Amino acid sequence: MAEALALADVVAGYGQSTILNGLSFAAEAGRITTLIGANGAGKSTVLKTVFGLLRPRQGSIRMHGEPIGGLEPRALLARGLVFVPQGRNLFPTLTVRHNLELGGTTLGDRALLRRRMDAVLERFPRLRERAEGQASALSGGEQKMLEIGRALLLEPKVLLIDEPSIGLAPKVVAEVYALLRGLAESGVSILMVEQNVRAALGMSDAAVALEQGRVGLMGPAAQVLADTRIKALFLGGGLAAAG
Amino acid sequence: MQEILQVTISGLATGAIYAMVAMGFTLLWQTTSTINFAQGEFVMLPAFLMLGGIVVLDLPLAVAFVGALLISAALLGAAFKRAIIDPMIRHGVLPLAIATIGLTLALKNGVKAIYGAEAHPFPHPFPVEIWRVLGVAFSSYDIAVIASVAAVVFALNRFLNGTMTGRSMQAVAQNPEAAVVLGIDVKRLILYTFVVNAALAAAAALLVTPVYLFKFDLGESLGLKAFYAAIIGGFNQMRGALVGGLIVGVLENLSAVYFAPAYKDAVALGLFVLVILFRPEGLLGREEARRV
Repeated sequence: MAEALALADVVAGYGQSTILNGLSFAAEAGRITTLIGANGAGKSTVLKTVFGLLRPRQGSIRMHGEPIGGLEPRALLARGLVFVPQGRNLFPTLTVRHNLELGGTTLGDRALLRRRMDAVLERFPRLRERAEGQASALSGGEQKMLEIGRALLLEPKVLLIDEPSIGLAPKVVAEVYALLRGLAESGVSILMVEQNVRAALGMSDAAVALEQGRVGLMGPAAQVLADTRIKALFLGGGLAAAG
Repeated sequence: MQEILQVTISGLATGAIYAMVAMGFTLLWQTTSTINFAQGEFVMLPAFLMLGGIVVLDLPLAVAFVGALLISAALLGAAFKRAIIDPMIRHGVLPLAIATIGLTLALKNGVKAIYGAEAHPFPHPFPVEIWRVLGVAFSSYDIAVIASVAAVVFALNRFLNGTMTGRSMQAVAQNPEAAVVLGIDVKRLILYTFVVNAALAAAAALLVTPVYLFKFDLGESLGLKAFYAAIIGGFNQMRGALVGGLIVGVLENLSAVYFAPAYKDAVALGLFVLVILFRPEGLLGREEARRV
């Protein structure tokens, strides 16, 4: 299986603090790879570093074999790497349609943008119904769908998504996961960060458990989920203490 | 009743000019958290440039206005952002505000040194006549000012809501982190807001200078009133600035006629204090939380 993303010895952080300490792992193409770990383990930092919001101090990041470390978000979007960050990513007073449209800023072709928007609205009938309403009037689940739909405008090869289930009702989480699963089936490679370990690993192909900015456990999702050491990662003490 | 109507119309004309300058305040606040205390001088400088064009180069007012608009856009838009905002913004809101106060002094005293402290008449861009409708006397100039500001607000609204560039500017103001993630060119759009602010100030200069006459301190009270207007209406809402400007203009005029002309300037300040005490987000503003 080809590698969609490969990180090798990546060191990154904020100011004086180092969060990623020589992190190395790969996410396979057309699969969902989920990053798990305790708070502060560096999960979100991985996504920010891959997406160019944070410059890696050392190491290499490759997408389908091409080096992308240190590239700006605009350059990465053009290569088919998109990012849906955690939390609120919409523009509340703009309409749903206009929020969607702004996802195609880098497309540079109005006709293509319109076609892609039509396709996304076709795929998300609830967004189509509310297309002319303000984004702030959408429910939490609909907002997340809009964020994902907006990311799909660029027909991404690799999707980075940070805690898509946060703040959503279990039924809506299931819908979001089903959507991500469908995207992976259609060939999109997904690197996801989740706190909701059991549910996330239940729908993922692979898992990478981070511990203090390094890989603590890595492997097929079911295998990582069944690993008894997984509790130690979240309860403190680390893997060494768990034996 | 007829007199109240007359006073209100003339207050709306003054308020419309405050509103135009106040909208610039909110634009800069929304995109860069800049409180530009030099906003009044951003009106005075294009007035000075227009006057220079008319007196020294013998240009017609329309040509002088276009020239002043372009120079303002470059100098008070792009150069202001590059030379003052970009280096100061990382130090926070207060140092940035103090830097703009410094700019106020530099612009005011620079113009005073070049031109002197005397007031100079400025040509009216529209005819000044008295119109009588159903016994009520209106100044044609007031009506032209209200119509001009309405046209500018309409055009700005069309630009911000009807074009992708305008919507991208709103996106940057509402959620800059999300805008970066979508590949929106945040730096370029912030530059546009500075250029739009400078253009609004130049348009205000064209309308207000014939009434106040040109003087180096032309912008002093105008900038302050526009600041009050923006706070009263809601500093994070353009329509708040519009409403705030109109309220200040009308109340000022009504109090000058029916209360005491000497207290005219205190009206905006009084209203500003009341809003800060009882509704700090402004009449139409949104509550805003900031990370510290």
